Amino acid sequence: MSITLTMPRLSDTMEQGTIIRWNVKEGQEVVSGTIVADIETDKATMEMQAYDDGIVAKILVGEGTQVPVGTPIAMIAEEGEDPASIAPSGGEQVDSAAAPAPSAAPAPTPASAAPAPSAAPAPSIPSGGRMKVSPVARRLAEEHAIDLAALSGSGPGGRIIKRDVLSAVETAGENVAGATGDVLPVEIPTTQRIPSQTLVSTTTPIVQHVPALESTEVAVSGMRQTIARRLVESTSTIPHYQVKMRFSMDALMDIRKSLNEKLATEGVKLSVNDFIVRACALSMAEHPMFNASWAGDRILIHGRVNVGVAISLPEERGGGLVVASIRDAHLKSLRMISAETKHLATKARDKGLSTEEMSDSTFTISNLGMFGVDDFTAIINPPNSAILACGAAIEQPVVRDHQLAVGWEMSATLSLDHRVIDGAMAARYLLTLKAMIEEPMRLLA
Amino acid sequence: MSERIIEFRDALREAMSQEMHRDPRVFLLGEEVAEYDGAYKVSRGMLEEFGPRRVIDTPISESGFAGMAIGAAMLGLRPIVEFMSWSFSLVAADPILNNAPKMLYMSGGQFGCPIVIRGNDGAGGQLGSTHSWCVEGMFSNVPGLKMAIPAFPDDAKGMLATAIRDDDPVFFLESERLLAMKGHVPEGDHYVPFGKAVVRRPGTDVTLFSFGRPVHFCLDAAEELAKEGISCEVIDGRTIRPLDIDTIVESVRKTNACVVVDQSWSFGSPGSEVAAQVHAHCFDDLDNHVMRVHSADVPSPYAANLEQAFLPNARRIAEAVRSALYVA
Repeated sequence: MSITLTMPRLSDTMEQGTIIRWNVKEGQEVVSGTIVADIETDKATMEMQAYDDGIVAKILVGEGTQVPVGTPIAMIAEEGEDPASIAPSGGEQVDSAAAPAPSAAPAPTPASAAPAPSAAPAPSIPSGGRMKVSPVARRLAEEHAIDLAALSGSGPGGRIIKRDVLSAVETAGENVAGATGDVLPVEIPTTQRIPSQTLVSTTTPIVQHVPALESTEVAVSGMRQTIARRLVESTSTIPHYQVKMRFSMDALMDIRKSLNEKLATEGVKLSVNDFIVRACALSMAEHPMFNASWAGDRILIHGRVNVGVAISLPEERGGGLVVASIRDAHLKSLRMISAETKHLATKARDKGLSTEEMSDSTFTISNLGMFGVDDFTAIINPPNSAILACGAAIEQPVVRDHQLAVGWEMSATLSLDHRVIDGAMAARYLLTLKAMIEEPMRLLA
Repeated sequence: MSERIIEFRDALREAMSQEMHRDPRVFLLGEEVAEYDGAYKVSRGMLEEFGPRRVIDTPISESGFAGMAIGAAMLGLRPIVEFMSWSFSLVAADPILNNAPKMLYMSGGQFGCPIVIRGNDGAGGQLGSTHSWCVEGMFSNVPGLKMAIPAFPDDAKGMLATAIRDDDPVFFLESERLLAMKGHVPEGDHYVPFGKAVVRRPGTDVTLFSFGRPVHFCLDAAEELAKEGISCEVIDGRTIRPLDIDTIVESVRKTNACVVVDQSWSFGSPGSEVAAQVHAHCFDDLDNHVMRVHSADVPSPYAANLEQAFLPNARRIAEAVRSALYVA
């Protein structure tokens, strides 16, 4: 019997997935555990394994194509079966046309009218379908070994066009003049001329004194769509409010410095955030509603503290952010929290996190202190009831014992779900937190 | 060579005159070509020069005199038929489309048809729907004929001389709007080979292909686009049967973008044929699909402002170029 591989559900919220790359070809042998494809979910790009041995008989869904979870994507012939005789069962071969068409309807071809050049050419393939690339862009990408999947197209409907590839070639530092002969006459990018007509309507040329800007469209990645959907859902369904408090950081900065000096040989380097994660987690014992979820007719109080840490992803990997879960943070020491956070942040930025590494958070911390931000507010990460937005610890004039002095201070702002937590509760939680942070010995035990 | 500047219409006459001196089989016939010097003064002085046996005024009967000329060509003469306008050729559709282009084929090579049919084609300036025909869309569809559409005075002479010497029926399309255009035209023998396009303006960003009067619209658009930093390569096809696809392909391989400009209607036109051939030859070279600018898909309007908007004018060409280059 042949085996049908279907689009797996790789995260709780995943409804569709995009085949970024097939790592196997038709006719190739696979064994259980072979990574057959890379799949982009709404959160991350993940590897798909084969769970059976056999020969890839048929690939049903091409690279760049998005299909719903459960759609057959490949057929595997088992031992003794003729791969050539296997026909897809159930699912049809899926190409871009069969991919679910979002709201954008394909534009009809004008039957007899002269094409109106003023109208932007409508995309011929629904967005969300397969990757659109102009033929010459595809050829140039091949010649310069540019990975098209890594580019975002500036043409209509996200089509990757010549200038996108050429600017990637430039970024890659490749010497265009040294490449194959017939690319030579190609004039490199139009960045100088585009702004003069897209940004201003006057025909007077404007001399460029600043880096050129461009009007373009950027295709929305699965992750960006998830961020957009979840945060709109959060702000539109959760009655948010904020409570802010300032913390004296003198003691914490001292203890951190001294610990880091003593533990340097063991490779331990604690961040301010590691202390905050532990302080927040330990505060939950007294304030269980901060480790809870609104469930319509009930409030679910969680029995373990999983602190979500927001991690921003580098621009060159498409930007965006993920929330890594530090599981059972209330049971972990500072150095365990520190090591785990570093590991997850590095993995998120290099390869992406698994669904497990991102799920089940009960409370979230977002820290922009390392960017020098004083204070800010954050949006609750559902189904959490609260999120703490931390600014930088800043050395500044402070009043201590009726005297002006120099000290370290940090501001932190809680965003709260008023269905679960009232203002006075938030104040009490912040006081507990303040006590831990201002007497950081309590975090060591 | 001295810069001898003459009008487009005089360049046409020089070609006919020189070929009639060279070859006694060549003669001109049409409405008012003799006594009146031609409705558009193209044949000025030719009656005195060659006499009424070789410069013949005909009745207003296109089907009759076109049919007669085709018979003369089959029997060895080399007639030049002037239609005051190609719009009037429609009543002669049977002889010019059903006989002339097919004669060599149907007679098994016994009869050729070395005829030149020439006249004004396209909008002449407020001539209305029935007198502003661009026949290239309909007529270039027919195998067996050649079609030449000059845009400059030197080509008018060189291409008409080549047409008269050609052994196949040549449909020679002139524009009333270009007849007074002046330019350098070589004296004496001057032949422009068919099937050879010419680059009128070199460029690097986009290939603009046209023929006949719209070549000038393209050059205007190219001038305007140059101010925006867009470099257009303008190609004048000169003949569309035969079509010099090689020159177009060579250019598109360099620019990766192509806009075809054709003053006939878009459906089933030389423009759609050129676009299809460019897509076939240059698929991997294109950064966008080939864009086309044609006359609007309506009968030619009479009102002057509507006629301007109807034509594939420089503004519409520039819009298509920006769109093709994703800068619109």
